[in-house]
Amino acid sequence: MALTDTRPEAGSGTVPTSAPTADRPAILLGSGDHKAIGVVYIVASLVFGVAGWVAMALWGGHQIGDQNFLSESAAATLASSSRLGLVLLVAVPLMLGLGTYIVPLQVGANTIAFPRAAAAALWTWLLSSLVFVVANCIDGGIGGGRPEAVSLGLLSIIGVVLAIVIGTVSVITTAIALRTPGLTLDRAPLFSWAMVVGGSVWVLTLPVLVANVLLIYVDHRYGAPSEYGVPAAQWEQLSWLTTQPQIFAFAIPGLGLVCDVLATLAGVRQAQRNLLLGFIGAFGVLSIGAWVQPYFYGDAQDELVFAAMAILILLPVLGLFGGWATTLRSGRPSLKSPIGLGIVSGLLLLLAAVAGVVYIITPLDLRETDVYSLGMFSLVMASVLAAGAAGVMYWAPKMTGRSPADAVGKLNVLVILGGGALAGLPLIVLGFATKYDGIADASDALFGISVAGDALLALGALLVLAALVTTSHGASVDADAWGTGQSLEWACPSPPPPGNFGELALVRSPEPLLDAAEPAEEA
Amino acid sequence: MAATHALPPAPPVQRPRVLVVGTAFASAATVMVFIGLIAVYLSQRAAVVASGDTWLPKEITLPLQQTNPVLFTLLMSVVTMQWAVSAIARNDRINAYLALGITLVFGFSTIVMTSYLYSLMGADIDANIQSVLIYTITGLHLIVLVIAMIFVALMAFRAMAGQFTARQHDGVTAAALFWYAMVAVYALIWISIYVTK
Repeated sequence: MALTDTRPEAGSGTVPTSAPTADRPAILLGSGDHKAIGVVYIVASLVFGVAGWVAMALWGGHQIGDQNFLSESAAATLASSSRLGLVLLVAVPLMLGLGTYIVPLQVGANTIAFPRAAAAALWTWLLSSLVFVVANCIDGGIGGGRPEAVSLGLLSIIGVVLAIVIGTVSVITTAIALRTPGLTLDRAPLFSWAMVVGGSVWVLTLPVLVANVLLIYVDHRYGAPSEYGVPAAQWEQLSWLTTQPQIFAFAIPGLGLVCDVLATLAGVRQAQRNLLLGFIGAFGVLSIGAWVQPYFYGDAQDELVFAAMAILILLPVLGLFGGWATTLRSGRPSLKSPIGLGIVSGLLLLLAAVAGVVYIITPLDLRETDVYSLGMFSLVMASVLAAGAAGVMYWAPKMTGRSPADAVGKLNVLVILGGGALAGLPLIVLGFATKYDGIADASDALFGISVAGDALLALGALLVLAALVTTSHGASVDADAWGTGQSLEWACPSPPPPGNFGELALVRSPEPLLDAAEPAEEA
Repeated sequence: MAATHALPPAPPVQRPRVLVVGTAFASAATVMVFIGLIAVYLSQRAAVVASGDTWLPKEITLPLQQTNPVLFTLLMSVVTMQWAVSAIARNDRINAYLALGITLVFGFSTIVMTSYLYSLMGADIDANIQSVLIYTITGLHLIVLVIAMIFVALMAFRAMAGQFTARQHDGVTAAALFWYAMVAVYALIWISIYVTK
């Protein structure tokens, strides 16, 4: 780092001493500080995660035996709402929260782009999410039986998606337009790159969900309803969000996050970095799934493009695994929980991608029921939770200034791995029931195992929250909490002050902190 | 005594334009909502036509003599919006104000003409799925048009407050970008709904 530039948005380079801090609730409510916004996203999404996986477990329990404790309509509403909730209230906001907090730090920005819009997005998301939950509790879920509540639920989904899109635009605009001098996009940390890729896919596909919901709402609220708003048809129009390839779009930020975690904790520069950038980009392109809407386009899953996407998406996942293995082999990885959680995230995603390839084998009749797709969905959601947990454990020292209890994180490695596998794999096996009678006979046992998996995932979300909350008992840490930080977030104090950075040096490589530590090599 | 030389100030660091980048993403998201809706419209229409029926019921009237002027009005608004951008880029504020004002008038005219079209259509929203689709798509476009007009008006007020210069006029450029996206969406609606019928 030979040259020091004063960054334009740094102004005088001074940091206001009396500026608000994120730990004061009154200021948190009105804050446009990306750190406060990010923390609220993370905590709220984890709370919703506990509720979401409990709801999944309830639905699974309803499928066991003849002692059904829910009415059929309530079970159908619970199934659709819990899946939609896990995507829009848990997976996306968890990654968006990490992105909102970390991306401005990683790219050396003093603030997030459009801070007021980001804050408005947060509170719109939170309010709409609560309305979504309330509407579901009063029989207003997708296909619910109480018309006014269903209208409320549909509007809340539109609110949630709009908020997510606005929040995402803030994050990816930060990564594109507010990078510090010298930090070209190909030098940006892989998590920031993955947020750009994933965020772009979200911005292009989630509005299509708004279009679907809007049609349902208008027909339901103002129409006869004649077609779209008919309760039995509502979920069919929205289910594409929770099936392949679209479901993979919500795992994209996790891929970059795992790359950053492994490289930092292994203490080496990321091997074949440009290749990994390409793999993440390819994964993003192959997860664009808004066109696979069986309700309107019945043959979509028989198309060659669908089959090609299902097969090809496996390649970037395998490529990323190769990159991660190379990084771990060439470094000295410390056995910390973020590494374990990152690998668990990758493994669960790999399982889902392999299941996606099997799904396109037509003679297996896996599309006759949606239970196979639900198994894939469970695996991907568990993968996102593992990635989110890795991110929280990895950046918690930066967020709080203290070390989290790594034992909790290590316990969570087992909990989320077990939970994801138990929740998803039995349903995938059950998908073969139309072909093999023996599997159908074991459906109660398989649903029982899946319920246990969902319960473990709820526990996993709770453990992430616990790890975050109990950091106040941990030891204080320096700016570079791990001692092997590579990207710019580890250059600012822990926790970052308002304004994040005063002055930053010109960035000359993807690992500016390693450059600073190795001046001789740079010269 | 050493000679001193008055050096010109260092050029500012070239940075991508935040508001323009953000607006580009927002415009893309807006366009995707309409692509989703129009894809549904066309797939439903194709299914009905393939079954041998006509798509639009007899009670729905979509006169081109009403929708064509709307399209031409919006196309003219693209010209005036670009006029505003180039004027503010030359620091020609009078022309910029004039162009932004005319753009807003064109937008208002579009609202009036579309409202009149609704009175001519002769079908209630709950009449059939065609009505649901047409009212949803065109109604949402009106909402987006109003948002675009608010965006343009805000930038016009900021310009009048002296906030934009020849070197920094991102606000007007961003408003123009969103406006063009809105007009492009109308062109798509015009072909898919009003012309194809």
